[in-house]
Amino acid sequence: MRKHQSLQYILIFIVAQIAWLSLLGLWIYRYVTSYVHVADAGPELYRQWISGKADVLALVGGLVLLVAISVGMSLLYARLNSQLKITQLYDTFIANVTHELKSPLASIQLALETLRERRISRPKQQEFVRLMLQDTNRLNSLINAILEIAGLEQKKIAHRFEVHGADAVIRTLAREAAEQFQLPKRAFEIRGSAPCRCVADRDALKMVFNNIFDNAVKYSSGSPEIRVNYHCTSNTLTIDFKDRGIGIPSHDLKNIFKKFHRVHDRDAPSVKGTGLGLYWVREIIRHHGGRTSVFSDGKNRGSTFRVELPVYRPSKKNRINRLLEIARQMPRQPDGKDGDSRG
Amino acid sequence: MGNRNRILLVEDEETLAVGLEYNLKKEGYAVTRVSDGKKALESFRTKSFDLILLDIMIPFVDGFEVARRIREESPQMPILVLSARSRAKDRIKGLEIGVDDYLVKPFHLKELLLRVAGMLKRKKWYRSSVEKSPVYRFGANTINFGDLTARSGKGVLRLTFHEAMVLKYLMDRRGKVVSRRELLENIWQIHAEVETRTVDAFIVRLRKYFEPNPEKPVFIKSIRSAGYLFTDA
Repeated sequence: MRKHQSLQYILIFIVAQIAWLSLLGLWIYRYVTSYVHVADAGPELYRQWISGKADVLALVGGLVLLVAISVGMSLLYARLNSQLKITQLYDTFIANVTHELKSPLASIQLALETLRERRISRPKQQEFVRLMLQDTNRLNSLINAILEIAGLEQKKIAHRFEVHGADAVIRTLAREAAEQFQLPKRAFEIRGSAPCRCVADRDALKMVFNNIFDNAVKYSSGSPEIRVNYHCTSNTLTIDFKDRGIGIPSHDLKNIFKKFHRVHDRDAPSVKGTGLGLYWVREIIRHHGGRTSVFSDGKNRGSTFRVELPVYRPSKKNRINRLLEIARQMPRQPDGKDGDSRG
Repeated sequence: MGNRNRILLVEDEETLAVGLEYNLKKEGYAVTRVSDGKKALESFRTKSFDLILLDIMIPFVDGFEVARRIREESPQMPILVLSARSRAKDRIKGLEIGVDDYLVKPFHLKELLLRVAGMLKRKKWYRSSVEKSPVYRFGANTINFGDLTARSGKGVLRLTFHEAMVLKYLMDRRGKVVSRRELLENIWQIHAEVETRTVDAFIVRLRKYFEPNPEKPVFIKSIRSAGYLFTDA
């Protein structure tokens, strides 16, 4: 893919150079011949010279070539620019993944060496074992996320789509996420009513909830607070996750679901993450035929992540029924991952 | 109890911080643990410490910036960086800011404890060794090893503790070639050859401070395949 793109850039560059040299040659030729004619024939030929067809063609041709050069150069610049941005994002991703892999690894190694080197009381041993398991879970989640991202992109992930009652699935998943992130009762609230059904892979949807909760927790300066509101119309089930975190700058709103993108805010209370979490959210919801969006009133004013899913109606021959059909035909996909950084 | 060395541990990874704190306390150190750059600077300004263990990727103010601000206020404070970043440019950046040592995660417990103990021991030795005659002169440079200040043709500057130690080690052996390995073993107490970049980074900084032309050093010379030679002639 990269080789193909490089060839494209080289081709654009060569065409631009040929155009530029042709233009230069044409103008030199025109200048020399015109000069000779004027010198030989004097002012008599001057009128012919300025009204001649060949000159008009040369002028128009020159302009066309100039435009072609400009377009070629602009294309080249835009491509190179986007390539540079991708490379930068990739470098950041590698640095973040390195950090996310090495930190729990360092912790496990330290705990193991401590257990080996020191005489430790039974309760302290248990604590070290608990910490190590916490780290192995974290490593497992991260490795799964990285390995399965390609599968999700290439639609190789076999979702187990089923029809769920919207009320039940939303309330259960939200409560499970709140428990996982150990949110106290006052920090979590769920409101709404949705007497409709939706087609969803429950495990995939769990990842969506967990990633959104994880973001809210990571990007809250004080104690995190999350409010889940949901409702449905005849076509759409809407779930809003509102947090009271540090918010998202307006220039980051459009990029936040992009792969590897992370918000760089000096006031962010966490530096953990790989830039894959919200990308996962967007991709999973897209596979469900839904859409994701985010709103924020600005810095320190919280943010709201919105997930919209199509409502299931048995009579309707649409995408949802096709998803159900595909799910019946495909083998079950093993368990996934959760929890990642903003963006 | 009152003579215990005090360590400020700056680490945002909860599980790692718990293990580090436990082990440092077992070694007899008094440990203050914080999880972000803001708290690290607050603690540094309100309490007294003998050494700082610092992670780089921490919230609010990153580790490099924390080290830079601490260096401005306390050139002698030993700072040991613990970081997942293993690239040479990160290490060099840290050393240029003035951190004294850089340990990459994951690390061995024994190695960490040795480095911490070594840094604290050298700090003590250094203080006692420069107590009697702290001021040295060579060329247009005057070094006060007591308060870690220096005056060179380029103005007044402050040395970090490890910069001063490297310089003092070379000056005490003037006219003799000192290998990188020797410097590593005696200043940092490291026995790994892969760490020689650490020494080179310090030499580059010292030349920048004291050589009229750092590209053509006259005081701290490189001896090919052997090491460094200090001469004030």
